[in-house]
Amino acid sequence: MVALVFALPAHADPLDELMQRLAQVKSAQGKYLERKHLAMLDAPLDSSGTLLYVAPGRLEKHMLSPRRESLILDGDTLVIESKGQRRTFALQEHPVIWAFAESIRSTLKGDLATLQRFYEVRLEGDAAAWRLRLRPKDSRMRQAASEISLGGSGAWVDRIEVQEAGGDRSVTQITRGAS
Amino acid sequence: MTRATRWALGAWLALLLACIAVIARTPFTTDLSAFLPRSPSPVQQALVEQLRDGVVSRLILIGIEGDAPARLAGISRNVGAALRDSGRFASVNNGAPSGFEGDRELIWRYRYLLSPAVSTERFSAEALHESLRELLAQLASPTGALLQRLAAADPSGELLLLVDQFTPQARPRIDEGVWFSKDGGRALLLAQTRAPASDIDAQKAALDRVRESFAQAASGTDARLIVTGPGVFSVVSRERIREDAWRLSLIGSVLIAAMLIALYRSVRVLGLGFLPVASGALAGIAAVSLAFGSVHGITVAFGVTLIGEAVDYAIYLFTQNAPGSAPETTFERIWPTLRLGMLTSVCGFSAMLFSEFTGLAQLGLFSVAGLVVAAAVTRWVLPALLPRGFAVSAVPAVAPRVLAAVHAAPRLRVALLVVLAGAAVFLIARPQPLWSASLTSLNPVSAAEQALDRQLRDDLGAPDVSYLVVIAEADQQAALQAAEKAGATLRDAMARGWLQGFESPAAYLPSEAMQRARQAALPAPDTLRRNLQAAQKGLPFRAGAFEPFVRDVSAAAALPLLDRARLQGTSLGLRVDSLLVQRASGWNAMLPLRGVSDVKALAAALPAGALLDLRQEFDRLYGGYLREAMINSLLGAAAIGALLFASLRSPRRVFDVAAPLAAAALATCGLLALAGVELSIFHLVGLVLVVAVGSNYSLFFDRQGPSGADRGRTVVSLLFAAVTTVIGFGLLAFSKIPVLSAIGSTVGLGAAMALVFSAIMSRQESRAA
Repeated sequence: MVALVFALPAHADPLDELMQRLAQVKSAQGKYLERKHLAMLDAPLDSSGTLLYVAPGRLEKHMLSPRRESLILDGDTLVIESKGQRRTFALQEHPVIWAFAESIRSTLKGDLATLQRFYEVRLEGDAAAWRLRLRPKDSRMRQAASEISLGGSGAWVDRIEVQEAGGDRSVTQITRGAS
Repeated sequence: MTRATRWALGAWLALLLACIAVIARTPFTTDLSAFLPRSPSPVQQALVEQLRDGVVSRLILIGIEGDAPARLAGISRNVGAALRDSGRFASVNNGAPSGFEGDRELIWRYRYLLSPAVSTERFSAEALHESLRELLAQLASPTGALLQRLAAADPSGELLLLVDQFTPQARPRIDEGVWFSKDGGRALLLAQTRAPASDIDAQKAALDRVRESFAQAASGTDARLIVTGPGVFSVVSRERIREDAWRLSLIGSVLIAAMLIALYRSVRVLGLGFLPVASGALAGIAAVSLAFGSVHGITVAFGVTLIGEAVDYAIYLFTQNAPGSAPETTFERIWPTLRLGMLTSVCGFSAMLFSEFTGLAQLGLFSVAGLVVAAAVTRWVLPALLPRGFAVSAVPAVAPRVLAAVHAAPRLRVALLVVLAGAAVFLIARPQPLWSASLTSLNPVSAAEQALDRQLRDDLGAPDVSYLVVIAEADQQAALQAAEKAGATLRDAMARGWLQGFESPAAYLPSEAMQRARQAALPAPDTLRRNLQAAQKGLPFRAGAFEPFVRDVSAAAALPLLDRARLQGTSLGLRVDSLLVQRASGWNAMLPLRGVSDVKALAAALPAGALLDLRQEFDRLYGGYLREAMINSLLGAAAIGALLFASLRSPRRVFDVAAPLAAAALATCGLLALAGVELSIFHLVGLVLVVAVGSNYSLFFDRQGPSGADRGRTVVSLLFAAVTTVIGFGLLAFSKIPVLSAIGSTVGLGAAMALVFSAIMSRQESRAA
């Protein structure tokens, strides 16, 4: 990985560099712990499970606790499996869900063009500890989330933070490894 | 022109004008009312209304196949959007979020009046505690973000419950965001037209819209369109019947006209020959209009063929007119026979007058009136218009050969007897019934198309056309309440596995009583706050987090009730419009059923007569018609026997006239059965026509004139008449439309055999010898 970074031209834009680095990853697997801070709750709400990414377009989120629920993003459809039911959504018809989905998927894919279609993208930090801050362009999306930020090091994303308009906030930590 | 002829011409013209005046004000119908009994039972009424106007008969099933799934999905989305925009459909579903999205605000506001879960129990501290625990789990989940904003106002999740209830219960597989068949090769859409199935013009417009929007969406791809459904089938059938009837009758008319012009060598005489038929048809339509108030398209189409016998009258007159003699002289000889032949036909057709089957009764009246007028025009109008001294010059050339054949015919008597005995034995001995008990035998839709329809229906989980709960009540509210009661029974039945699902108007518009009961079940704000406080114990929800819920519940308790006016223009309103309809006698609520597996148990659980098995009811109705038509035909045959006996006054001569007809009917049935045809009610109508047309042949054989020349002319006229009949009807036999081919094959075969058998059985030759 380090060799790869050095192989890049020295004058390249750091954002492009990050994207190219991320684009090299063909698949990744990890465990996540998500903590939601909701205005209606006195205490934070925790959930955990596994994440799986397969280039170019498949992203699976399997919540295992407090109960099982799966979100499978593939191409332009989103499948939600919970309580034995399976629902399918076409992303084009749900702009807000689509924007959410692309914030993570396009980052993992290193697809800056798609990211910039939905967000104003800003990069902070360096290759060892970077933070990608996404501000929604669409007003409907801004009502749902005021900012999404993804942090990581190298080609690994280890933290996703969603700041919602109503003051609610969620923080997801991701650790490497198969479930 | 004598005074009498002038009177006759004047009376004829006056009659024509009167007929035209009546017809100008006649409503012509093309719907299924022809199949409705004249005094229908409530079930039969409901049955025909369902077929004509029912929610299930408005479905159009659409499949798109033949290209990559992503392309098919794109086409499906575009077609769906175009159809929704067209305004011709009450609903269009293809798996993409349906029209209910647009009603979200209405459903949100009325959620506590619409939700079947609302009860006092639902808002108790214990139940709320369970709801909140569930909510917490949902909030934690990946989809929690979608609920977060609604949670404070809807902790018990009524909105999700309603959205689930309103989206079609059976969902096909979804790929690329739209419905696909199980094998993934075909994108699926299910549309419901606004117009009733019986409005074939509107159905055609809807079908055209489907085809156009597909053509637009699919240009440049390899995709193919499949469209089926009851409305589509009626459009296609009508087109086919029109095409076939038009094409075949055009060919038939050209052939017959060519033959007649070769014989008559006079365009004027050819034209005169059609006067009796045309006058008879006008009189027939006018008579039906006066008696029934409207005329069915079927009556006109088949009535005109039934009085095809009237073409023969002119042929008899023109061909039997001896050179140099006046038509009046010819009539002195042939009129008694012609009149008896006409009366025989009238006897046969009047049996149909008493049919409960409206279509058949109209057909009977049409034929009786038409034949009487056609015979009268032949007798009193044609002689005045026929050129002086007209004679068919071909007769002397043809006559000797025809006479020789007739002379030789009786030698075939033994062979005929053997054939008839064989036919009788074959008909009695064959294991399968001769008459088809099901109306599907008349379905102009091919078996392949029906199989495709079943396949699409299966893929879509669309309601079966067969089963439906119909509730008839005096007013709308009573109908909705009864639908709610039936709905409870059906949910029970679903739990027992008797059916997979159903739809009800009360789901979209609960009865006022139900809405009031739900309002009454909503707790007062203070009670609800207390219950919430207790429910939140041990859960991390902040105190007062659910104030929006308390506010909405108390607002719902005071909401004006949901009614049709408020649903106007929403997709919920469209669903209600199609499931709750006003009838002459009151209001009908309809609950289409899906995946019925135990009809008997369902029928027993529901109020008597509420479950309608459309196919079975229709077959039962048709079976009744068929039995009745057979009895009427036998009565008609008895009347013909009595008429013949009264005029011929000799059992032997009655036998001579009737035997060839009975033999022709028997042999026709035998031949059709041998060809594997299942006989239907239209074959029976055809047999009556065979007797009507054939009676002229056997009567003329019975009364052959004294001189050899007259005998020759008579026999030649019979031959010409029979050839026109066989051409006209024989062509119909080649139609792919079962009704047309039934009548065509029966009459074509029967008329030919009636002539041949009359010759074989005639005693004249042996008597003369």
